Amino acid sequence: MSTEGRGQGAAPASLDTPILSVENLVTEFRTGGGWYPAVRDVSFTVQHNETLAIVGESGCGKSVTALSIMGLVPPGNGRISGGHIRFAERDLVALDEEEMRKIRGDRISMIFQEPMTSLNPVLTVGFQVAEALCYHRDMDRREASAAALDLLEQVKIPSARQRFADYPHQFSGGMRQRVMIAMALACRPELLLADEPTTALDVTIQAQVLSLLAELKATYGMAMIFITHNLGVVASIADRVAAMYAGEIVEIAPVNQLFARPAHPYTELLLRSIPRVDRDTGNLSVIAGQVPALGAMPTGCRFAPRCPLREAVCTLRDPPLVALADAPDHHVRCWLRAPPVGGGHD
Amino acid sequence: MSNIAAAAPSASRGSSYALQQLARAFNANATSWIGLVTFLVVVALALLAPVISPYDPLNQDILARLQGPSMSHWFGTDSYGRDILSRLLWGARLSLVISTVSILAAMVIGGIIGILAGYIGGRFDMVVMQVMDVLLSFPSLIMGLMVVAMLGANMGNLMIAIALTAIAPFARIARAPTILVKERDYIEACRALGYSDLRIMTVHILPNIVAEILVMGSLWLATAIRIEASLSFIGLGVRPPTATWGGMIREGFENILDSASLSIFPSLAILLVVFSLNMLGDGLRDAIDPKLRGGE
Repeated sequence: MSTEGRGQGAAPASLDTPILSVENLVTEFRTGGGWYPAVRDVSFTVQHNETLAIVGESGCGKSVTALSIMGLVPPGNGRISGGHIRFAERDLVALDEEEMRKIRGDRISMIFQEPMTSLNPVLTVGFQVAEALCYHRDMDRREASAAALDLLEQVKIPSARQRFADYPHQFSGGMRQRVMIAMALACRPELLLADEPTTALDVTIQAQVLSLLAELKATYGMAMIFITHNLGVVASIADRVAAMYAGEIVEIAPVNQLFARPAHPYTELLLRSIPRVDRDTGNLSVIAGQVPALGAMPTGCRFAPRCPLREAVCTLRDPPLVALADAPDHHVRCWLRAPPVGGGHD
Repeated sequence: MSNIAAAAPSASRGSSYALQQLARAFNANATSWIGLVTFLVVVALALLAPVISPYDPLNQDILARLQGPSMSHWFGTDSYGRDILSRLLWGARLSLVISTVSILAAMVIGGIIGILAGYIGGRFDMVVMQVMDVLLSFPSLIMGLMVVAMLGANMGNLMIAIALTAIAPFARIARAPTILVKERDYIEACRALGYSDLRIMTVHILPNIVAEILVMGSLWLATAIRIEASLSFIGLGVRPPTATWGGMIREGFENILDSASLSIFPSLAILLVVFSLNMLGDGLRDAIDPKLRGGE
């Protein structure tokens, strides 16, 4: 596979078009006898050099969205049944496995949540980092090892040269996550998907890994989708935030806007449930109820059963994702907070 | 940079970790050492047969037939006056070659089948493993009989027969850990890096399961020697006058009333080798089991 003709700035015009645009994505899973959408009508774009954070509770479809982009939805039990994922002017949904494999790890990479188990225990760290380069770049072992050492130094593994031939069990969790990052970045991807990369780490290590990611993102000039349930992390790393609930994006806005003026009741409640040191409210608020099961989605707005603002229309019809009247880049899926222009909700 | 080039070869050996673990488990177990040393002595004697055997194994001396152990013939002579010790040493070469080649073949073929079945799963796995179960349902001797009866009795067919009986067990031993390993996060990470299925199987799964296959191999080596001897004993092995342990026991059996040593010494040889290999394999298996399971 050729290495030229790609990379940032190859075609200046393409900088205006998003690197990734997901349109009306529907990903379904089979439970029991039927297929149920775990991700429904999800649309968003990611610009070059941008970090989009996807936040939401467990099971809201964050990870499924990422797996859909990677083409790693487990066949047999899962399928992408609708929508498009456009990456570099190609629709990833339409690509076959062979073509998708050339993109994975090369132009789109992913970092997983669990650094302790995401490295092969019987292969040396150096080998595993070099492997991606051998595979996608056709480097010989010697070149790849040199490049891998360079990468390990970039992700700030102390005395990387000595540790090159060490096995994963000789590394701590934070160090393993750095190795995972080095592997993901080996081929200088244009888009990095980070699926809760800091969740399994200690808080101090979290901060280190986050700043490392931000730094590498800047040097490599790549776009990043950062998946997390931790809103505190979002504030420090994201440019824009998409909040997901029950398989749908309920709100998407620039990070400052979302934190200053959350429009969807769910986002608002989510923000209110973060512990803050600068406010002395005694009790954290809790969102009553729980995420509906995949097979038992309510009609109308999916958040309606838990929503304090619920009105009659909410349980009858699906709200669309529409821009706020005074903020065109702030989209909200709510009948009350963002009524569609022209069509009332009666 | 030169430093890294030096480090690279050691980093590129995926199975070295598994072998290190095997060695560590090995050292902790005395019986496996006894087994290994005994087996290596037998191998050395077999290799040195042309140098150390006192007589030509085919040289007949009809006047000295069916003698008991003496200074000139340590283990005595057979019904044609051939030196039993020399025939044992030469027979060891044959037994070891036949069993090693057939088990290596079974290990490779069975291993590939097992990894493929475990990795692909689904209907493929079901069909393949059912075929393996059918193979497994034949007692090894019956299977050997059928193959040799169909193809004829010679060394190559003997190896095919033994390999055929051993493929199914190797497929099973390779499949089970493959199913376990393929669900691990690091295999998912491999997919996210765009690696092909072939690469995932050979570079990432195989080193994780190779130790278990090797342990199985040492146990099956003993079985192979036994099957070879059994087939030779019933006359379906390598044709006389070539010296084989099974064939020698057969001859001894026919002359048991005249000379017991003719059947005793080859029997002891088989016993020694089978016992040493079983000690080796058992020791390895006992030592390696908990470590491989808990090591991740």
